[in-house]
Amino acid sequence: MKRVTLALLGLLLIIGLAVTASEAGKLLIWADDTRTPIMLKVAEDFTAIYGVEVIVQEVDFGGIRGQLATAGPAGEGPDILIGAHDWLGELILNGLIEPIILTPAIVADFNPVAIDAFSWGNLLYGVPYATENVALVRNTDLVPEVPATFEELLTVAAALTDLEAGKYGFLIQEPDPFHTFALHTAGGGYIFGKDADGVLNPCDLGLDNEGSIAGAILLDQMVKDGIEIAGAGYNEVTGAFNAGDLGMMIGGPWTLPGAKAGGINYAVSAIPTINGNAPGVFVGVQGFMISAFSDNKVLANLFIKDFLISSDVMLGLYIEGDRPPAYLPALAFLAGNEDIQGFAAAAATAVPMPKIAEMGSVWSAWSAALELIVNQTQDPTTAMQDAAAEIRALLGCE
Amino acid sequence: MAKVVLLGTLVGVSIYVCVFLLAKGMYIPAAMPLIGAGLISYIFLSEKRYPLRWLVPGLLFLTVMVVYPIGYTFVSSFTNVGTGHMLGKEQALDQLLDRSYAPENAITYSFLAFANPAGDIALVLEGEGERILYTQGTASAIAVDDPRLVDEDGDGRPERFSNYARLSIPQLVPRLSDLEAYRIEYDNKIIGLQDLNEFRTRTPLYVYDAEAETMTDQQTGVVYAAMEGIFTSADGVEIYPGYKVSVGIRNYLALIRNPQISGPFAMVFGWTFAFATLTVLLNFALGLSTAILLNDPFLRFRTLYRVLMIIPYALPAFIMILVWRGMLNQHFGIINKMLVSAAHMIDYAVNYVAVNVFHTTAVLFGDVTKIPWLSNGMLAKASLLLLNLWLGYPYMMLICLGALQSIPASLYEAARVDGASWWQQFWKITLPLLLMPLAPLLIGAFAFNFNNFTLIWLLTEGRPAIAGATTPAGQTDILISYTYRLAFEGARGNQLGLAAAVSVMIFVVIATISAINFRLTGALEELSKNV
Repeated sequence: MKRVTLALLGLLLIIGLAVTASEAGKLLIWADDTRTPIMLKVAEDFTAIYGVEVIVQEVDFGGIRGQLATAGPAGEGPDILIGAHDWLGELILNGLIEPIILTPAIVADFNPVAIDAFSWGNLLYGVPYATENVALVRNTDLVPEVPATFEELLTVAAALTDLEAGKYGFLIQEPDPFHTFALHTAGGGYIFGKDADGVLNPCDLGLDNEGSIAGAILLDQMVKDGIEIAGAGYNEVTGAFNAGDLGMMIGGPWTLPGAKAGGINYAVSAIPTINGNAPGVFVGVQGFMISAFSDNKVLANLFIKDFLISSDVMLGLYIEGDRPPAYLPALAFLAGNEDIQGFAAAAATAVPMPKIAEMGSVWSAWSAALELIVNQTQDPTTAMQDAAAEIRALLGCE
Repeated sequence: MAKVVLLGTLVGVSIYVCVFLLAKGMYIPAAMPLIGAGLISYIFLSEKRYPLRWLVPGLLFLTVMVVYPIGYTFVSSFTNVGTGHMLGKEQALDQLLDRSYAPENAITYSFLAFANPAGDIALVLEGEGERILYTQGTASAIAVDDPRLVDEDGDGRPERFSNYARLSIPQLVPRLSDLEAYRIEYDNKIIGLQDLNEFRTRTPLYVYDAEAETMTDQQTGVVYAAMEGIFTSADGVEIYPGYKVSVGIRNYLALIRNPQISGPFAMVFGWTFAFATLTVLLNFALGLSTAILLNDPFLRFRTLYRVLMIIPYALPAFIMILVWRGMLNQHFGIINKMLVSAAHMIDYAVNYVAVNVFHTTAVLFGDVTKIPWLSNGMLAKASLLLLNLWLGYPYMMLICLGALQSIPASLYEAARVDGASWWQQFWKITLPLLLMPLAPLLIGAFAFNFNNFTLIWLLTEGRPAIAGATTPAGQTDILISYTYRLAFEGARGNQLGLAAAVSVMIFVVIATISAINFRLTGALEELSKNV
C-alpha cells in the first residue's frame, strides 16, 4: 500500500513539474517556503504591469540544487531560482546556470563580499539578497557582559556549566565544521589557499597547518574541561538556549526566531579573540540565479533587475528570512538593528564559504575529525592530520 | 461496455502522454505508453489471453518501477555521469556553441518592434549607420524614408510599419521571449537580443570541429580537445559543462583498485550482512515469541496487548527514528537521564541498608550518565539493532499470528498423545510449519534491511567515524549509505557513475543471497508435502 501511495505521489510530482515547466513567455520561479510569499507579491506586480504570467513554485531550499540538475536539462526547470553561493561550483560545472550582467553602478549597491561570493572568474552568476554568518549569541540574563577574550569566555562558561543539572555555559554544535571554523582560523587555519591569480587551489589544503590544529586542540580542551559535550547537535544546542539553560553559543541568524519565541533576552556579538587573534567565520550568501535552460533569459533578467533589486523587496526578504540584506540601501535601513550589527561585527574577518565542487569531501572528512575529537576517540593533532590526508587522497593531490 | 470505455480512456490518455513526450524529443519514453496501452487493449479484448488479464497490471508496474530503474542504473554504471558530466553531449555542445563574446567590432542596435493584428513581429534595428528590417524570418536593409514606415507625430520614431503597429514597452515585454529566440543573419553577422533596449551582434566564442572533436576559442585561439567528456586544452584547462561518456568498466575497476574505495569495502560488507541477518533473526524471534503468547486462548486482555504491540509498527518510522535519536543522545537524551535517576534510587536504597556504600552503581556499571549510545561504535551498532527490533517485531508478530492460526490443532493433539513436550512440539511442529509460508517474507525482510538506508542515515548517519581512516566510511555505514557517501561526499561533487556501479554490485549480492535462500527454503516445501 505504501509503495502504491509513493508511486502515485511520484506520478503526481512528475505531472506537476511537467505542467509548470519553464515555457517561453512565462516565468517560473523556484523559491523556498520562507521566500515564496515575497516572490508571489513581486510576481503579482510584474503580471499587473506587463501581463506576463509568473509562477512561483515552492521547493525545499536544500532540494533546489539537486532538482535543478535533473529538471533543468530535461526542460522542466525554472527560469529563476534562489540558492546559496556555495552551490556555484557544482551548478557551473554542470552547465545549469547563466551569468547575469549588472552595471557597475548596480553592483556598487551590494555588499562586496556577497558579490565576490557569487562571482566565478570575472562573471557574476547570481544577484545576492542575503548574507549569513555565525556570531557569539549569548543569553544576557546569564552572561550580561561580552567576554573580552575567548579565555575569559571559557572561564565564564565553566562557572555556568553544571551537566547534572542540565545547565551549560557555552556550546558549539558538533560535529560541524561550519560552526567550528572560527577556532581554526584564529591561529591561521584555512581550507583552500588561493593561487597567484586568486582562484582557490584545491591542493593547497590548510586543514592540518599549525593554526587549524591549534583550533582542534582548543576544542579538545573544551571537551576535557566539560564545557563542550558530545551529542550537542543543532537541535540540542538551540533547544538548551531557547529554554534558558545555555549561556552562550555560536549561532547564526536562523537561531534568533527560536530564542525570541522562548522569551530569551539575547545579544549578538563578534566571537572574542583567541590568543589575541580575531577568529574568522564563514559567510554564506543567498541569491537569485538564472537557469541556463531558460527560454526567457531576457525576461528573467528584467524581472531581477527591475523588480527584485529594490529596498522594498530586499527588506521584505529580511523580514521573512532574518538574514541581513546584501543590498546596501536596504541594509542602511537596519542601521539601528542590534542583531544585524552583531552579525556584521562577527563578519568583519569573514571569508565566503568555498564554492568549488571539491568541498563535498572536505565537509565529510572534517566532520569526522571533529567527531573523533568531541568523542575523545582520537587526539586532535592526529585527527586533523588524518582528515587532511583523506581529503588530499580523494582529490588526488599527493 | 464499461470495459470498452475504460480501454478507450486508457488509449486516449496514452496517446496524449505520447504526443507530450514526443514534443519534448523523448522518443523512447514516448513509445512506452503506446506499447503498454496496445498490449493491455489486446489482452483485454482477446478471449484467448484471458489469464493474462490478472498478470499484466503487475507486470507493467514491475517493468516501470523495478526493471527500468535497474536497467538505467546498470547503463549508468558504465558512464562517467556525475558533477561536470551531467548533460548529454548534444546539450553540452548546444550550450557551448551558444556562447558568444564581444569582439572590438561588436555592434549594438537599438530597435523598434511592431506587431500586426495576427501577432507577427517586425523589427527595425538601428546601429552604426545600419538600418535592418527583420520580418517573417528574413533580414534586409531598410531606408529611413521607406514608405512602409509611418511616423505620424514626426518624433523620428515611426508608429507603424505597413499594417504593423509599434509595441509599447508593456506590450513588448510579453514578447521578449519570442525575440530572444531570434538569430538574425545579416551581412555575415548574427544578431541577437541583448536586453529590453538593444540587440547586439553575437560572435560565437567557440567553433566546433566534429571530425577532430575539438573546440577552438575564437577569442584566444586556444584549442580544446574532447577528453573523456570534457573539452580540455593542451595545458589542462577545462571548459564546462562536460557531458556523459562511456568509460567501460572503469567504475568497477575503481572498486577493486582504488584503495580509498576498496579498503573499507570488506568491513562495510561484513557489518551490512550482520545487520541484515541479526535484524531478521531478532525480529523474527521476538515476533514469534509474542505471537505464541498472544495466541494462547487463556491469556486475558489479548486484544489490548495486540493493539499496544502494534503501535511501533503503526507509527511512521521516519519520525520515530528521529525521536529515538533524540532519546539516545548522550547528554541531552531522556534514556541516559532516566538511567541516572534509576542509579540514584539504587544508590539511595543501598545506602539505606549499608550506610558506607557510596555510588555503588557507578562502581558496578561505570558512569551511567555518559553512556555513548550513538558515539561508540559497538553501542551505536547495538542501538541500531535494538531500534530496528522495536520498529520491526510487530510486523513479524502479525504475520506469525496469522500463520499460527493455520496450523491444524489436530497435529498438537496427536503430539500430546505421543507424549511430546512443549519444546518438542515447538521444534517439530510449530517452527517448520511456520517457516514454510514465512520464508519468502524473511528473505524479503533481509533484502530490505540490507538496503535500509533510512534507518542508518536518520539514526547515526553512518557514524561514529573510524579513527585513522583514510576513507569517508563510518563504523555503522552499510553498503548503501557508504555508496551514498561515495557518490555525494567524495572527491569533486557527485560521482553518480561510481555509485551506480556499487549499486549494481549490491544488487548482485542481494540477488545471489536471495536465490540461495529460496533454494534452501524450497527444501521445506518437500517437508510440507509429507504432513
